[in-house]
Amino acid sequence: MKALAAFWMRLLAFTLLVLTAGILLMEKHAPPKTGVGADGPPSARTLGSVYAALTRVKLVDLIPASLSGETNQDSEPFLAVQTANPQVMVASAFTPNPVSSSSNAPIYVSEDGGNSWILNAITPVPRMTCDITHAMPTGENHPRGDLHAGTLACAASITLDESESNDVSSSAVMNVQSTRSNVDQPFVRALAISKTDHIYVGVNDFNQPSGRTATVDVSVDGGATYKSFSIEARHTAGQDGPSVRPAVAPDNTVYAAFFGWRKFNGTSATSDVVVVRDDAGGTGPRPFQALRDPSDKLPGRLVVKRTSIPWSNAPTLGQERIGSTLSIAVDPHNSSTVYLGWADHGQKGDIYTLHVRRSTDRGLTWSKADLPQTTISNATNIALAVANNGVVGLLYQQLSAGRWVTHIVQSHNAFATAQDLILASVPADTPKQQFLPYLGDYDYLLSVENEFRGVFCANNAPDRTNFPQGVTYQRAVDFSAKTLTDGSGNPVAVSIDPFYFSVPVIP
Amino acid sequence: MNSSLSFLAGILSTVLLVPSAARFLEGQNNQAALAKQSSIVFSGTVSQLGTVSFAGVPQSPQTIVVRVDFVLKKPAAVSLKKGDNVTVEVKDPSAFQPGTQATFYTEGWIFGSGVAVKELGHDFNPGGGAPAEGSPTGQPALAQTPKQISDQDLQNRVASSDLVVIGRITDVHRWTIPKSAAARYHVSEHSADWHEAVLQIKSILKGTKPKGNRMAVRFPLSRDVAWVNSPKFQKQQEGIFLLKKDQVSGDPTASVGGYQVDAYTCLKSGDWLPLSDEARIRSLLKN
Repeated sequence: MKALAAFWMRLLAFTLLVLTAGILLMEKHAPPKTGVGADGPPSARTLGSVYAALTRVKLVDLIPASLSGETNQDSEPFLAVQTANPQVMVASAFTPNPVSSSSNAPIYVSEDGGNSWILNAITPVPRMTCDITHAMPTGENHPRGDLHAGTLACAASITLDESESNDVSSSAVMNVQSTRSNVDQPFVRALAISKTDHIYVGVNDFNQPSGRTATVDVSVDGGATYKSFSIEARHTAGQDGPSVRPAVAPDNTVYAAFFGWRKFNGTSATSDVVVVRDDAGGTGPRPFQALRDPSDKLPGRLVVKRTSIPWSNAPTLGQERIGSTLSIAVDPHNSSTVYLGWADHGQKGDIYTLHVRRSTDRGLTWSKADLPQTTISNATNIALAVANNGVVGLLYQQLSAGRWVTHIVQSHNAFATAQDLILASVPADTPKQQFLPYLGDYDYLLSVENEFRGVFCANNAPDRTNFPQGVTYQRAVDFSAKTLTDGSGNPVAVSIDPFYFSVPVIP
Repeated sequence: MNSSLSFLAGILSTVLLVPSAARFLEGQNNQAALAKQSSIVFSGTVSQLGTVSFAGVPQSPQTIVVRVDFVLKKPAAVSLKKGDNVTVEVKDPSAFQPGTQATFYTEGWIFGSGVAVKELGHDFNPGGGAPAEGSPTGQPALAQTPKQISDQDLQNRVASSDLVVIGRITDVHRWTIPKSAAARYHVSEHSADWHEAVLQIKSILKGTKPKGNRMAVRFPLSRDVAWVNSPKFQKQQEGIFLLKKDQVSGDPTASVGGYQVDAYTCLKSGDWLPLSDEARIRSLLKN
């Protein structure tokens, strides 16, 4: 009897051993999770617990096949998704008009959910923009467009155009609705409210009096008219920082974050990180004054006071410049919950440190310290978004061991636990920068239905190991030789390309 | 009699041939102008009417699909070769039938899995896929868009310049913003980082020579995307400088050798040229 029991025990142990070995062998010999159209399981690294769910990630290099010979530094990406038809998207980067220095700067357009992209030269700016962001609400029922863009034109004086296209697939140049000079870094957010597009453009407007330059341009009539509101209530060091970021919730709550510069010495800004709020879409008698700081009773909650932010308009973090990465995101179904991310000098020895904090009471109070494991060394280009189920997404790019590593992190409990996917890990020293910014002063993340969608820029070498979740190229590549080609088989130098991605929101 | 016949023959040939020759030359000039104006020139065979060659291009009665036989001019970035199908938005669709062979002078329109272009003009190729005989587009030099500034661009730049100077840079220093202009300066990623070069004048190709032999030229040293294509000067750099009076930096004057003089700027790519372009500029100035 004892012998029989021992036999069964040995058989059970042997069976378990064989099963384990089989699983390990299958994993080892599994085909690479990369390549055209490939969707692979996550190479998930965790900040806390692991979410075991399989992940279907889409990652696409935006450069079209017919521009396979290009070697531009297509940096500083942005993304807009058509609210009514999320198959339609517009992306942008510092991509010049491919054929003419006098023709219009282009945008990338996808009508199939990001699988393919075309380049369409319809911005109002000649050749190439110096900044461009955009959004596509659908209050005016333009199902193939309704793109609202803020662009800067590169010229002796830098000019902001706020413009609109009613069909991003047409060849009609965008209609300029408002223009002015002496402003910096327009950042567009928009939402359709009562069949009207409400547009919020964060700008650093040097025309504002008394150096209170942090400004939000508000249009509640689809861009036909704009009103500019300074959202800085305090003394500044002559101006605020470049980044002014609005976030809009469907209930008409609008937040905006900015760097309130209190001192500036040329290499570092002593800055407050400020959040303002408006509960009526910026249309009330005192716009963006709903939040006041307890310390001075002035509008604008000081989430962080007098932090030191490095400013360098030269290669500093790898080949990238630093000085003004900032993001704010509001929960679309609970506008009381809002996340804020920024970078400063941070920890000793760091060049640039990211932080994320949260408020659950409409910006009145904030987490006293960074959310768990969101103090991130030597990183930039922070972008936050909140999905319909309350999951927060965090996109950032970190310089690590000589590589630019692009992360998308998701959490349903304010980063107590999280899923962290690496979208790209590419050499940071190639290609050599053509200009600044190298990757961009920002990248972008949005939530759309049950997906996070976003864009970032990276070295475009077609090396599958650089893209652990898989990647699709439209431009001609030879994966076996890890080289780009011009479509006729001739090699093309590595450059910076914009990449689109979508990741399912975790449950 | 013979002389009368010769005279009559001369009159006749003048009447018949001169207009033809003029028309031929005019046609040649038009083709040359079209080729210059075009970013993409190719010879091809029309395969379909009223359709497009790839998704994302708006289809209309004016869009036709042309199979490429020869690529005569294109930017290096554009992938286009024999056998590719190109969507052409033509001016007059009734001029084309499937099988029509022509040289298309075009500007780029939409770039996706294929190329879509807008027609600026065309020549029919009666003998086949090759460009029409004598077409200026047949020249190998048009195989890719030259990177150097075109004569037309250069002529425009010279025309809009206040001064065109041959000279040498003797000093470069950061320009200190005067108090009078400080109010207009703010900190931005797009800040120009103005520098000032002292230019020793060798000769003046356009404009009135300033007092003395030296002048101040302001330029942005910034590597920001807004300024990266502006010329960046170094000591001992020689060349041809296309200059405008400074209306950008906020202070229209500069101090050179103890004298207050007009300050100039040199901002755009191509506003500095090597000395080898001197003859070209002199020639353009005569026209």
